[in-house]
Amino acid sequence: MGQHLNADTLARLVDHPAEPGEARHLAQCERCRTELTAMRDQTDALGALPELLPPVGDWDVLEARLRSEGLVRDRGLFDRFGLARTPGWMRAAAAAVLFLGGTGVGAVLGTQGALPTAGGLSGGDAQFAQAATLESAAEAVRRAERDYVTALTRYQALLGTDGEAGAMADPSRMAALEYLVAASQAAVRQAPADPFLNGLLASTLAEREATVQRLASRRDTWF
Amino acid sequence: MTERQLIQQAADGDARAIRTLYDRYAPRVYAVVRRIAADDELAQDYAQEAWIRAIRALPTFRGDARFSTWLHRIAVNAALQAIRKAETRRKREAPMPDRVPVGPKRSDALLQKRLERALDALPEGMRRVLILHDVEGYTHDEIGDVLGVTAGTSKSQLFKARAKMRDMLSSLDGAAQEHGAEAWGSI
Repeated sequence: MGQHLNADTLARLVDHPAEPGEARHLAQCERCRTELTAMRDQTDALGALPELLPPVGDWDVLEARLRSEGLVRDRGLFDRFGLARTPGWMRAAAAAVLFLGGTGVGAVLGTQGALPTAGGLSGGDAQFAQAATLESAAEAVRRAERDYVTALTRYQALLGTDGEAGAMADPSRMAALEYLVAASQAAVRQAPADPFLNGLLASTLAEREATVQRLASRRDTWF
Repeated sequence: MTERQLIQQAADGDARAIRTLYDRYAPRVYAVVRRIAADDELAQDYAQEAWIRAIRALPTFRGDARFSTWLHRIAVNAALQAIRKAETRRKREAPMPDRVPVGPKRSDALLQKRLERALDALPEGMRRVLILHDVEGYTHDEIGDVLGVTAGTSKSQLFKARAKMRDMLSSLDGAAQEHGAEAWGSI
């Protein structure tokens, strides 16, 4: 009967045909046949291993990363509230406001009153600072989102249906823009190296500059 | 909505489409990287990296292969590259136990647990080949492409890995019979 087949040979015979000598040995040796059967069972069992559920909270972490890398856009948020035609710069500024919590925006845009002080932004910060768990942080973001959308809806109405300079008076528009610039600057102060937030700030500053130039142009014409 | 439409929307950055793809394929992605990583925390990191890469690369997905196959390959590559980076940093291999603390065959669930733990205890090179071939169904040529080795090396590693697994599992069965099933109660 000769020597028993070694482990590497048996492992090969799981899914490869046996050489004539190996086949003769297997025919005579119950121990090697048993070992080969066990190894085939082991291989079958490995092939039948189930999929594994990722840990709880995995999606939340992934979603945050996807957002931080700009791979996700919430088209549904704007569409859902009928703001699909909102100018791009406003959406960009919206993200900066969301970053801060967004609670002060409703007040300033809803009343067209005075610009908020630095304390006006801290309300949003506090929501996140107090969020002890991922779930509570997510809830804070959802609240901020609702507040922001309310404010943006009002702003949209003030701007007019075309989303550009319309019914809203330029001073009010400038006031709102100043607030969004302040919000963007505050966001950049919190994350100075974040290219996304820096992009938002640049967009908002550019819009403010364009509005200033438009105002200056009108004054020139008037005089 | 067809999968192609779903993929297109996800490629456009639609959050809900991405979430749908995640819900559909996350268990498959996590399973393969968990088995390659042999560590829960690393597996989560690798799976996240795989998803980031996949979402980033979605606009380049042309549908030549099935999406699940394409995603699976990204997950395998992400895990392997992360391990290589970690290896380069550590310049050493984590110590592997010779014996696996798993118990006797009582049910399919327990068998799966024993196999998973035995996989975790295999030396990394063997584990990668065994997982890719026997668990994930890669051919030796495909393994060669992924791992940067020849098909012959892949085969050789596979046979050693199977033998090592068999050795670990049979040793445990023997130990369990000697000490009684209760000895494995801590599994």
